[in-house]
Amino acid sequence: MSKYTLRVNGQSHTVDVTPDTPLLWVLRDSLGLVGTKYGCGIGECGACTVHLNGSPTRACQTPVSEVGRAEVTTIEGLDAAGKHPLQRAWTELDVPQCGYCQAGQIMSAAALLKRNPRPSDADIDKMMAGNLCRCASYVRIRAGIKRAADLASSGTADRGGSRS
Amino acid sequence: MKRLFDSSASVVDRRAFIKVSALAGGGLLVGTYLRFGASEALAESVSAAGNFTPNAFITISPTGAISIIAPNSEMGQGIKTSLPMIVAEELDVSFEQVTIVQGDLNPAYGRQMSVGSQSTPTNYAPLRRAGAIARAMLVMAAADTWGVSVAECTTDNGAVIHAPSKRRATYGELAAKAATLTPPENARLKDPKDFKLIGTRVPGVDNQKVVTGAPLFGIDVKLPGMLYATYTKCPTFGGKVVSANVDEVKKRPGVRDAFVLDGIEGLTPGVAVVADSTWNAFSAAESLKVQWDAGPVASQNSTEMAKQAEQLAKSTPPAPLPVGAKLIEATYHYPFLAHATLEPQNCTAVFKNGVMEMWTPTQIPASGQGLVTRGLDLQPKDVIVHITRLGGGFGRRGSNEFSLEAAAIAKKLEGTPVKLMWRREDDFGHDNYRSNGWHYFTAGLDGGGKVVALHDAFVKMQGGPGDMSAGGFPFTAIPGSQVKSSKLPPGIPTGYWRAPGDNGNVWATQCFVDEMAHAAGRDPLTFTLDLLAELPAGTGRGLDPAKMTNVLKLATEKAGWGKSRPRGEGQGLAITHTNSAYVAIVADVTVSREGELAIKKLTAVVDAGTIINLSAAESQVQGAMLDGISAAWFQKITIERGAAAQTNFHDYRMLRMNHSPPIVDVQFVKSTAPPTGLGEPGLPAAAPAVCNAIFAATGIRVRTLPIIDGSLKWS
Repeated sequence: MSKYTLRVNGQSHTVDVTPDTPLLWVLRDSLGLVGTKYGCGIGECGACTVHLNGSPTRACQTPVSEVGRAEVTTIEGLDAAGKHPLQRAWTELDVPQCGYCQAGQIMSAAALLKRNPRPSDADIDKMMAGNLCRCASYVRIRAGIKRAADLASSGTADRGGSRS
Repeated sequence: MKRLFDSSASVVDRRAFIKVSALAGGGLLVGTYLRFGASEALAESVSAAGNFTPNAFITISPTGAISIIAPNSEMGQGIKTSLPMIVAEELDVSFEQVTIVQGDLNPAYGRQMSVGSQSTPTNYAPLRRAGAIARAMLVMAAADTWGVSVAECTTDNGAVIHAPSKRRATYGELAAKAATLTPPENARLKDPKDFKLIGTRVPGVDNQKVVTGAPLFGIDVKLPGMLYATYTKCPTFGGKVVSANVDEVKKRPGVRDAFVLDGIEGLTPGVAVVADSTWNAFSAAESLKVQWDAGPVASQNSTEMAKQAEQLAKSTPPAPLPVGAKLIEATYHYPFLAHATLEPQNCTAVFKNGVMEMWTPTQIPASGQGLVTRGLDLQPKDVIVHITRLGGGFGRRGSNEFSLEAAAIAKKLEGTPVKLMWRREDDFGHDNYRSNGWHYFTAGLDGGGKVVALHDAFVKMQGGPGDMSAGGFPFTAIPGSQVKSSKLPPGIPTGYWRAPGDNGNVWATQCFVDEMAHAAGRDPLTFTLDLLAELPAGTGRGLDPAKMTNVLKLATEKAGWGKSRPRGEGQGLAITHTNSAYVAIVADVTVSREGELAIKKLTAVVDAGTIINLSAAESQVQGAMLDGISAAWFQKITIERGAAAQTNFHDYRMLRMNHSPPIVDVQFVKSTAPPTGLGEPGLPAAAPAVCNAIFAATGIRVRTLPIIDGSLKWS
């Protein structure tokens, strides 16, 4: 067991774990941040996507010993009020089905929008192909990313759930 | 057509299923008896015996807070949102006024099974009744207070209004008084044309929690002092532990215990490793050295099964064709499938003072309770099951073996909560797979291109769902059709997979219908419509040809069926009648000369009766279509030496964003008929529509799944 001090969602946490422990399990078991999900453990499904210094990273493939002083952002820290444009778009368009993959989807999409505020379908395909949705809610994930791009560019206030 | 909402049907008899009482602190509690699956008879008998126990509760507190218990499991089908919508509609409150509470396993709730697309159809009428009775009592309370006639009172948005005297009272203000009244003999249900909520789009009640990563799922459960466990079973189905190096494993970092479990009824023997974190449990389990007794299934493999299937089919030859008929024959094969719920199986359990308390993502909590009761010799009252949200169901979580595994481990560690977490590899290796299947079709066409005979020799694994009979379309359209069903020996565990039976058999039959149409030189649309015209009308629970014809015509019109297209582009159609819903799908695909498939558009028209939540309904159909296509395009479990060869998502591929069609158009037929289920009906016709489109584009007929196993190259 070794001690590591991590920066997660703007706060410092010291954990005492085995050095090969993936960041995923440190977040979930040690820090109680369970929004980041376990799906495969081999970096194939994307459910564990977090940001390391803003870059989308598979937490299941990142040993805690390699995190160092990097700023870790999880779904819980994406927006203090849970009102990131993607989160607003996701609730507005009712994107989630079972919802298990959605934190990972949102974290990947957030990294995409940061780099590319107006992604094309091809951009979305390329970035999001690493995130599996077992319910296949891809139609709404795609629409959600485009809606979030609109919300971000217009700075539209939260509209809550739509009832069209 | 029979009118579903005539005057006699829209009156509620309170004696049937309603119970009203006062809520502590001065509120109103209304209970109804929800029906699950085919339990209507059960509910009737309970009621007749006079010991009626309400199982769905609406409570209205003096502050006006309204809560509704959701007894079914939420797994993405939207039931936690749609069932309360039904109550809120009849109660005449806005959805925002209602809080939904997930119910635990409770005998009072009747059969808590979230399977077979049944949650909505079986609960629609009882929930409407409960809402209508509650509303009527609140009106009575207001009328009584004001000394006015009930007939002069109306309701709106959680309040009773007496327009002539301009008086208004909220439900909260009226709740205490309402609870003292005798429920009315009759309460009128809303005319569907007055629905304000049913048929609209209401986003899922837990969406905000989902998008902020709040704990919701079984995997998210955390109890004070909790330990984490893995359970390693023999890769070969039915194998047993001979010995394991548990003493060495106990020395690994963070490991608190390691032991073999065997001799427990219903439990597959294996080795438990318990540690202070999930990772330490996973990591230590990697160092397990187990000597297995592989058992009798070790000789089974997929290649051998295919040979056996052919022998079985040949040994049961179909009826001969009429003399002079043109023979068409084809063999269709679909493989085993895993469920691969993205949340691997898990269960948290604690055994204390003789009571086993569990937190389980399950579709059938009572089955888990039963397994634990029998396996660990406990009384049902001492096995408490809390239902968490499910990270996908698809039929997988109707089985509850993970509950028994967790409980058996927790019993050994009495007093300490334990979360059993399956690794993804456990999940692929120990599923109850969708059975493989083979269809050996023979058909005869007469000189005019009409089908005069259609036979099917069908083979699947013994046990589980998915058998074939001549009682379904298209066999029912062709007199004298025969379906002979044979079974491969058991050994590989099979079970319910979304749209059981139809998920493979509709693919095979709908592709073969297309094949027959082309052999007859006919357009698949008119060919299918002609077959539907052969069906007897008004067949009760069976397929109503008028409804099927309607959705097929609408979908093909919408999709622009029949336009000529260049080689490499094609349209295909397929239909299904699944869980009482009617679905027609048209797929538009392109296939490059190199054989690369792209699905450009899916057009679906669905008649599923009354749509409760349009948002969830549309989402379910879109997801189910893509689920069916994902399975057909990519997915296959192969059995080698009695074990699943695929272990994780790298060798069990599934549909991803880059293969998802850009347009998935879903339209529902406007209907006031009772709702059918919608979790499954969108699935079965999607894959055959795509395969028929591939044929239209390339002339290549896909008869073996998954599609990626074959070549679609053309020149």
